[in-house]
Amino acid sequence: MLLSPDEVARARTIAKKPEVVSKQRLPVRYHVEDLDTADRPRRFLEAFAAILKHTNYRAALDHYIRVSNKCSRCTTQCQVYMASGDERDIPCHRSELLLSVYRRHFTPSGILRGRVLGDPGLTDAKIQEMAQAYYDCTACRRCFLECPMGIDHGLITHLARYILSEIGIAPRALVVSTREQLIGATGNTSAVPGPALLDNLEFLTEEIQSAKNVEVKFPVDVEGAEYLFLAPVSDYIMEADTLMGIGAVMHATGDSWTIGTKYFDGINYGLFYSDQILEHVLHKVRAEADRLKVKKILIGECGHASRSAKYFYPAYCGGRNAHPVVNIIEYAHKAWKEGRLRIQPNTITERVTYHDPCNIARPGWIVDQPRELLKAFCSDYVEMTPNGRNNICCGGGGGTVSIDEIRPFRTSIAGKVKAEQIRATGAKYCVAPCANCKKQLRELMQDQKVDCEIVGLHDILFKALILQEDK
Amino acid sequence: MEAWLEFGRGPLFRLALALMLLGLLRLVLLDIVSLAEALRRSQDRIVAWNQVWKTTFSWLFPVGRLWKMRPVYSAVSFVFHAGLLLVPPFLAAHILLWKRGAGVAWPALPQSAANWLTVATVVAAAGLIIGRIAHRGSRSLSRFQDYAWPVLLALPFISGYICTNVATAPRVYQWLMLIHVLSADVIMIAIPFTKIAHCALMPLSQAVTAVAWKFPAGAGDRVAATLGFGDRPTWVEKPRLGLPERPAECQKSEVAAQ
Repeated sequence: MLLSPDEVARARTIAKKPEVVSKQRLPVRYHVEDLDTADRPRRFLEAFAAILKHTNYRAALDHYIRVSNKCSRCTTQCQVYMASGDERDIPCHRSELLLSVYRRHFTPSGILRGRVLGDPGLTDAKIQEMAQAYYDCTACRRCFLECPMGIDHGLITHLARYILSEIGIAPRALVVSTREQLIGATGNTSAVPGPALLDNLEFLTEEIQSAKNVEVKFPVDVEGAEYLFLAPVSDYIMEADTLMGIGAVMHATGDSWTIGTKYFDGINYGLFYSDQILEHVLHKVRAEADRLKVKKILIGECGHASRSAKYFYPAYCGGRNAHPVVNIIEYAHKAWKEGRLRIQPNTITERVTYHDPCNIARPGWIVDQPRELLKAFCSDYVEMTPNGRNNICCGGGGGTVSIDEIRPFRTSIAGKVKAEQIRATGAKYCVAPCANCKKQLRELMQDQKVDCEIVGLHDILFKALILQEDK
Repeated sequence: MEAWLEFGRGPLFRLALALMLLGLLRLVLLDIVSLAEALRRSQDRIVAWNQVWKTTFSWLFPVGRLWKMRPVYSAVSFVFHAGLLLVPPFLAAHILLWKRGAGVAWPALPQSAANWLTVATVVAAAGLIIGRIAHRGSRSLSRFQDYAWPVLLALPFISGYICTNVATAPRVYQWLMLIHVLSADVIMIAIPFTKIAHCALMPLSQAVTAVAWKFPAGAGDRVAATLGFGDRPTWVEKPRLGLPERPAECQKSEVAAQ
């Protein structure tokens, strides 16, 4: 445990609009659209029952309730618990909140025991506890790597949040963005209008021209292109350097790609709180991919966008006939290995380290590729400890980074271990190829006073790329 | 006393063994059927079975990975499991009973090895309880059964060891043998109904988790329809449970208003 009880208490305060959040009928530290409070236990159980009926979660729950051994190995992995030492942050303890509800209300022995012992079951207080607990978890799934019984506490967090969202409990920060994405005028989470996107792409072309004396166009609405490119839409506002790097890579390889003006947002907050939204957002991706008749989907530097596309697009958008999904890092790495990308060695001489975004590293998908790329042009590359598949969450995972109200928790507790990891490397640059990680790590560096600049991979790869200059 | 012993070794033993084996078989079959059903329901049936098997194997034989975290507790747990899995099936005295009762036999552990392993198992059981109490996280997670199981499991080991290796008065021997047999029967009956079911279910865990992430298409909309949001998805603003409708002016894009 790294923090004193006082520090932990201070970390659990509300940073943004505290007068609004503390007045909510649901006493959690994030802003919710506090619509219905009546009869919550009954509605929670109804939602749970409906979800169990139509989804596959029952298989996991029936298994997990029987094998949990309370060995507490997960305590050695969870960076939230490592910082706070609070028993509420133990993954198995948190999962038990939902599993106990499942046992009591949805298994024959639990129902029988409840009747015999006179246990009333789910209460409003328990729902309030779950509503807070499941948003203190970043769903990074590091605990799953160390559970000998194979219990995926990230899956339980995911399910609990889904049930809560079906009774109207979800962070307003996520809900508002999602509404704009699905039924709003602009159709993306940052409300970027179409014309602004085009202006932005022109701007990127100009910037690349002045930096490298090469004309790199960002193709738009190209029918029959091989790749449909989806970045986290906030990159178009905030991460010009990343997009410049990506544009330059695509220019160098010569593969045909396009951005679709009808849908260009890779972000999918449904992964964080609702399977229904997860599916609907992916339908938008499929619709755009079908409209432009592309062959593959290319996701930019974003962890959850990559994961929702790679691991859920097949489930929702065609199974074996779904478009293959590629992450830009694996694309660039493959192109470099095949000799289609030329990189200037020793371009970056300052110390560089690499942060593995949970959503792409935990499944073992993007682990070695960024490192090999970085070592090709950074002369002082160092690893943080631990690293790779087992790396530690930035502290803002699972959508928590978008909830500004809980910044003290994110930067004092959830990200504390990460801050010390980065500080220990002494690196000038920390490469974090994920839009959410970048926001969290930048806030973390500020609040924890670590002198390190957070950059995307393609930001610095751009500097090292050797492009054929225009005459 | 004789009657109790014969009962404990005879009908009760057969009942306990049947309950344990059939109970565990039922749980394993339910798991497999649920897995197959889940995969059938999902459009995405591609599971990284190699990865699943590799991880399962590395937890079944965790030499090399277990001691990276909580090394002392891991070593104690390893010894405990080794004793539990090796002594009861491979003790010469037990094999003799099987030979007499069912006509089958198999190679036995050398007696000195069995003795040492038994002692180690009992010491490890004590170590598990101490480890559980001493660790903050463990203490807050543990339930009654987490403390009770090492005690219960140690009983047949302690009683069996004394009966085999310590000269005792006949009455004492009979009591110890009764404890030995009855505790083993209780353990076997309790296994499928408690966390010790992990002995059969744990090999399936990685597969269950991998398949659980394969979501069925359209499930979200069906859930919403079941809950009464059939006319629109749950995330679309509209009055729920009789709350007044928001005026049209307030339905503008909220992001623009921020």
